Amino acid sequence: MTVDTSVSETGSSAGVKRRDFLKVLGVSGAATAAVGCSSGDVEKLIPYLVSPDQTVPGVSNYYATTCRECAAGCGLIVEVRDGRAIKAEGNPEHPVNRGALCARGQSSLQGLYNPDRYRQPMKREGDALVATTWDDALQILSAKLGEVKSRGQGSRVAFVNQHEQGSFPAFLDGVLAGFGIAPHLSYDAEAPVAVLQANQAAYGAAWPAIDFSAASLIVSFGADFLDGWGLPVPQQLAFAEARGKVEGAPRFIYVGARRSLTGLNADQWIPAKPGSELAIVNAIAGKGSAAAAAEAAGVGVALIDGLVAEVRKARASALLAGGFGQDAGELATAVAELNKARGNVGKTIKPADGYLAFEGVAGHVEMRALAERMNAGEVPMLLVRHANPAYTTAPGVGFAAAMAKVPFKVSFSSVPDETTSLCDLILPDHHGLESWGDAEPVKGRLSLQQPTMDPVFDSRQTADVLLAVAKADPSLASKYGFADYRGYIASRIGGNQNLKNALPTALVSGAAASRTAPARTASRATAKEQSGEYTLLTYLSPTLGDGRGANKPWLQELPDPVTKILWQTVVEMHPETAKRIGVADGELVTVTTAAGSLTAPALVYIGLRPDTLAVALGRGHTAAGRYAEAGENAWQLLDAAEDRAGGAALGATKATLVKADGKKQRIVTTEGSGRQHGRGIAQAIALPALLAGEEGHGHHVFEGQASTEFLPGLRSPTANDAQGEFGVPNSKDKGQYDPEHWSGAAKRRWAMTIDLAKCTGCSACVTACYAENNIPTVGASWQGPVLLPDRTGFGANVTRGREMAWIRLERYWEIDREPKDVVFDPEHPDFDTNFIPMMCQHCGNAPCEPVCPVYATYHAPNGLNVQVYNRCVGTRYCSNNCPYKVRYYNWFGYGDPTRSQYAFPEPLHWQLNPDVTVRQKGIMEKCTFCVQRIKEAEHRVSLEGREMQPDEFTTACAQACPSRAIVFGDAADENWSVAKWAKDRRAYHVFEELNTYTAVVYLKKVNHPAPTASATA
Amino acid sequence: MATLAHPDDLRRPNIASADIQLPAVTSYEQVDNEILAVLKPTKAWFASLMLAIACLGLGAFSWIYQIHQGLGVAGYNPPVMWGVYIITFVFWVGIGHAGTLISAILYLFRAGFRTTIYRAAEAMTVFAVMTAGLFPIIHIGRPWKFFWLIPYPNWRLIWPNFKSPLVWDVFAITTYLTISTTFLFVGLIPDIAVLRDRETNPIRRKILGFLSFGWRNTEREWRHFARAYLFLAAFSTPLVLSVHSVVSFDFAMGIVPGWHTTIFPPYFVAGAIFSGFAMVWTIIIPMRRWFGLRHYVTLNHLDASAKMVLFTSLVVGLAYMIEFFIAWYGGVKYEQDYFWNRVFGQWWWAAWIMLTCNMILPLSLFSQKLRRNPTWLWILSIFINIGMWFERFVIVVPSLSHDVEPWQWSSYMPTWVDYGLLIGSFGWFFMWFLLFVKQLPVMALAEIKEIIPPRMKHTHSHGGH
Amino acid sequence: MMGVFSELDSTVEAIEELKQRKVGDLTVFSPTPRHELEHAVHPPMSGVRKFTLIGALSGVCFGFWIAIWGSNYWPLVVGGKAISTWLPYVVFGFEVMVMVGALSTVFGMFYLAGIPRLTMTVGYDPRFSRGSYGIFCECAPEQLVEAESILRRHGAVEVRGEK
Repeated sequence: MTVDTSVSETGSSAGVKRRDFLKVLGVSGAATAAVGCSSGDVEKLIPYLVSPDQTVPGVSNYYATTCRECAAGCGLIVEVRDGRAIKAEGNPEHPVNRGALCARGQSSLQGLYNPDRYRQPMKREGDALVATTWDDALQILSAKLGEVKSRGQGSRVAFVNQHEQGSFPAFLDGVLAGFGIAPHLSYDAEAPVAVLQANQAAYGAAWPAIDFSAASLIVSFGADFLDGWGLPVPQQLAFAEARGKVEGAPRFIYVGARRSLTGLNADQWIPAKPGSELAIVNAIAGKGSAAAAAEAAGVGVALIDGLVAEVRKARASALLAGGFGQDAGELATAVAELNKARGNVGKTIKPADGYLAFEGVAGHVEMRALAERMNAGEVPMLLVRHANPAYTTAPGVGFAAAMAKVPFKVSFSSVPDETTSLCDLILPDHHGLESWGDAEPVKGRLSLQQPTMDPVFDSRQTADVLLAVAKADPSLASKYGFADYRGYIASRIGGNQNLKNALPTALVSGAAASRTAPARTASRATAKEQSGEYTLLTYLSPTLGDGRGANKPWLQELPDPVTKILWQTVVEMHPETAKRIGVADGELVTVTTAAGSLTAPALVYIGLRPDTLAVALGRGHTAAGRYAEAGENAWQLLDAAEDRAGGAALGATKATLVKADGKKQRIVTTEGSGRQHGRGIAQAIALPALLAGEEGHGHHVFEGQASTEFLPGLRSPTANDAQGEFGVPNSKDKGQYDPEHWSGAAKRRWAMTIDLAKCTGCSACVTACYAENNIPTVGASWQGPVLLPDRTGFGANVTRGREMAWIRLERYWEIDREPKDVVFDPEHPDFDTNFIPMMCQHCGNAPCEPVCPVYATYHAPNGLNVQVYNRCVGTRYCSNNCPYKVRYYNWFGYGDPTRSQYAFPEPLHWQLNPDVTVRQKGIMEKCTFCVQRIKEAEHRVSLEGREMQPDEFTTACAQACPSRAIVFGDAADENWSVAKWAKDRRAYHVFEELNTYTAVVYLKKVNHPAPTASATA
Repeated sequence: MATLAHPDDLRRPNIASADIQLPAVTSYEQVDNEILAVLKPTKAWFASLMLAIACLGLGAFSWIYQIHQGLGVAGYNPPVMWGVYIITFVFWVGIGHAGTLISAILYLFRAGFRTTIYRAAEAMTVFAVMTAGLFPIIHIGRPWKFFWLIPYPNWRLIWPNFKSPLVWDVFAITTYLTISTTFLFVGLIPDIAVLRDRETNPIRRKILGFLSFGWRNTEREWRHFARAYLFLAAFSTPLVLSVHSVVSFDFAMGIVPGWHTTIFPPYFVAGAIFSGFAMVWTIIIPMRRWFGLRHYVTLNHLDASAKMVLFTSLVVGLAYMIEFFIAWYGGVKYEQDYFWNRVFGQWWWAAWIMLTCNMILPLSLFSQKLRRNPTWLWILSIFINIGMWFERFVIVVPSLSHDVEPWQWSSYMPTWVDYGLLIGSFGWFFMWFLLFVKQLPVMALAEIKEIIPPRMKHTHSHGGH
Repeated sequence: MMGVFSELDSTVEAIEELKQRKVGDLTVFSPTPRHELEHAVHPPMSGVRKFTLIGALSGVCFGFWIAIWGSNYWPLVVGGKAISTWLPYVVFGFEVMVMVGALSTVFGMFYLAGIPRLTMTVGYDPRFSRGSYGIFCECAPEQLVEAESILRRHGAVEVRGEK
């Protein structure tokens, strides 16, 4: 795999070419949109000046690069077809994510193709931002910088950059220094700075690797390591690996007021009041009594005693401190001390192979200090890149207001946001997938970043812009010998050739240029005197982060793994709280804090203390694009309080809650009933029971029972009957459905196993499916009926259950009553939660097939339940008859560019997978087991004239899964791992009693109850 | 009619037998004069025709809008993938059962009370099936491809899936429409001949002459006519029973809780006859009043049909009870949850509208007083129509909204498009019916003549009047 | 020779006498089928049933055939069921049987009753469709007188000769 190094000038008109190319391919109307930014000049099908690599129409190239969606710096393999990036997957060789990729990482494509991206430089004229040329923009910038330099104001100019690792920060500081400007602030609103500081002090590593497998007990004090806290993918990989061991897997206890996704994956939940975690840690450390801790935490003392006992007994435990309380720093230190005392360091906590993701990150406190300086009029010029402090800071900071006091403001962001919209000059940066760069995620390993395609719009990489500016200044020009930033990167790893050699994996040993982060100037702000009977937790959304994902429809449409809310902001409260103030789901409530107030529908959540409220951050943007407007902005509720390290205290705001008179909104959720009603869909088994062989196998209820005779169960129904009643009785001739048939059509039986012991419910598979299969998002407010719609606003379609996710994450509470009737018992607050990914089960006896009047769905010899879009007339009978309800219907022309419901506004449609049809309105669709990948693999092996290797390829969901819970393959071939997993003692089929003989086999989740049965209720 | 003895005085308990008299009708000429008098258009008729066409217009607009925008404009709420359209389809198919039942089955049973009502009922049947036939097309996602359900010869020889109940439907409905239309028309031939012979306008006379196939009332014609009519009746009888059975297979063949039950065919057929008779009342009772035909459709006729309605109502009620019993007795958790949810949960209101209108109110027909009270029968018929629409609602929607997969449980709320098409279907139906009553005799002249005593020379030899 | 009657019994008597005397062959008209007339004329059994039987048989065969052949032409398995199956195909057998059977019955009736007849041939009177009976007696010229007298004797309200 190589890359085009001479980026041609034709990128901005490439859309037209893409369009024609797709016309040639005859793919789907969706891609035939008129392209706004087309230059309409000479058109080439492949948007390269000279085809740099072996670009063959219809054949993909794969480029390795580095993900920039969060600080982690995961490795990507980007699939590029005809010069367009169409899919982002994890780089299997990358030390951080080992091939997996989270939903946010996969959505980087929708940042690249975001319809609201700046298409060229902009400058402010009066109140409006108007388009301009790069020459003009660069002149303005150089002039302003020269001004600053000549006046010697450089030290007072501020540059705020979205925190990223690698050489760029140092490079940036270098250029800034040339103009006498102070080192930039590397800002990340998601960084848990208090924990970083404490870890650094205690372990000598800001983010040590956590080896869950080595632990026998995991205790998390609000550390949401599966929700995006820290480095989500490696943490989830390690956690799932550990839990997947089943026997000897670590037990997991979560301590925190709200059960996050991490909390729901715990075996036990101790709902400690916010701020009381420290007391509990002290109790474990013997510095305080369990009774006092229980008192402070507001839970039964038995729970604390049990916790203390378990930690003290544990062979090796992993204790994690997280939380965004004001005492986060103290808590982290205490936990680190405890880990040391328990001898976990080096065993489960491994500073040696720690991650460098957060090196030199700045926190909330710097932004506040900057805002104060700006307010005082001390800042003549502000430069900001990708960071959005005007949105991600508390109102008390007044960042947006302060910006008004700055004479000249420059933004390098490529997508609009609240901060950029206030700037005077916008020099849109390349998207990460168009840029050069590097990162050093772990010591000594460089993860390179290379352009995967020509720029979509007329943007320029900031590094090159700075370079140009610097070179324009004669006094600086000498310092920069290299032509562009690519040259700089090459020079860092020993020249062009080394770079070329390294690019196929984008991995090379080496170190990124180091910088010295500016010393912390400001002092910590203590919270104002607060009142309010509730503690408000404003948490970072697992899907949208601090809000940077809000303009990506994939992420907006991805249900929150815990609340299953999408396109909407809700106020989470315990059922008791809801009863107390007399509201039910959807009734509007107003949360008021010292900082501000927010009115949103109430949502009952049983995983929350009655004295606590929770609202997700990240929605309700005002200037971040068309999709980002959904929901409410919870940052507005945040008080300026900070922790010891100057991180924003997200979980320490006092709030009052009142019912907003009578008004109601529909909850935008994908959840029907949150309980299984004893139907055994997502099954779990306690480890002792499993070891005692109580998983109920070995007994034959009847011949071919799906669970006990997996392969016959998959095969025989079709194979046996294929011959029909009019053939010779007990003839062997089953036509092409006979595994022995010359065509070999029935040689394989594609199947899937999903290990629920590993699945954490993170939903990365859902986004992977959207990306691979051109699934439309339907939640935008303009995607409903045009005439007299009875439901309006974001998520209107979803309130009618019309979301299209071919694979969905079902989250079931194991409780004996409706959630709204749950009462909080401090002695026994615990409840189980089971996640299960549900997609087309490709039944051997598929109920959907015989009812279709036109054979639009039928059973292929290789076991696939085929859906023929072109034949479908849309009677929807198949969906009615599907027990799993995994068939999705095109209610509107989501793929038709001429319609308001169009799901892929230009250039989003450039991401569409050419191998998959974009379905038209009025037809049914569903999971195909990524049939296009199956066919690709089959063609590949036949072209190469060889047999298919076991596990040679896999589906999009399995590929992305950061838990490695999904295994796909040929169940008819013993050498494929799916065939082995299907025989696991935990294997079961959903709704087995319906005799559908599904091809998807689930492996029961394994719970690890407390050693003493009394600890968990 | 004032000079005539009031027909209601004469009560005949065994009205359902072939032996029936119309005491107030004395001569063949009177039959012609009175029934053909109906054909004269009136202002009220024009007004109602306009209303019907207006409703049809609303329906047409809704459909065009829906075809352009996609089915999303209707209130579908997955997994409730079937809604008002399928409900209305089954509703109209059900209505379409009374006609052929009356003209065919009651003919074989020699039930005399059919004579004066069957023509209107048959016309109702034809128009109801015409209405029903539209809804499967309205409801599919790509209506312009509906013909793919029909096994028409095409050059790739792609055939529909003959195992799909929807294809069975296509055959059942097409056959039913063809046969009931044929039946209606065959019965009309002699009466059209009557019109032809009364007609003065030469052009109309030509047309009627053409439509009557030159019928001459010869004994030879009558002989074959009677024979053919008998065979048609013999064919239509099992057909009536089969059509709604096949429709019920749409549900019974699914594995959806509340659908997957063997009681559906008889249950649906009974329901269809029940609703059909209700619609016959809705039409006949105003007709006999406004067209002054009270002495043709006497209280005895209504009384007899009321017994029919009462009987079918009891059958339907029994079916409801058996459904609940089996759900409990079968011990399938899905079914039990579903039926609880149907009657006491999410959908209690729909279920109770159904039970009240179809089970409880018709019990009033045990009283002969009410059976012979046209006003009450008409009010009741409206309740039954509503009740039967909701029966289909209760079958279609709650089952789908509460299937085996709890995560996908949902609700359902129709939009103005659904209602528009529902109203439009009534407009379409009544437009045809209104046009019919002013063009062709609403009662079978020939058959009425058959039952009134003929003129005789020697009156003693006949015990007439 | 055509006679128009207003009473049923007189018509019957006239028919009986005409037949008795073997005067020509008769066509009897009546506004509605009456058994009295049928007895008087006692014609052969109607042949409609043959058409019905043949139609029904060919219908049931075609119904089954199209379903079975259609399924086997594209042998696709759905829901693990057999390619083509007897039981559900009974629906097609039955429905097509009814359809073809009924239509051929109607055809049979038309054929046997000699309709459609597009011209009003001799010997018809509009009154026949209203309330009157009629006897049209085709006979040799020498019998005309006798026929007329018989018709008149039995009280025909009108007797006229037609060519």
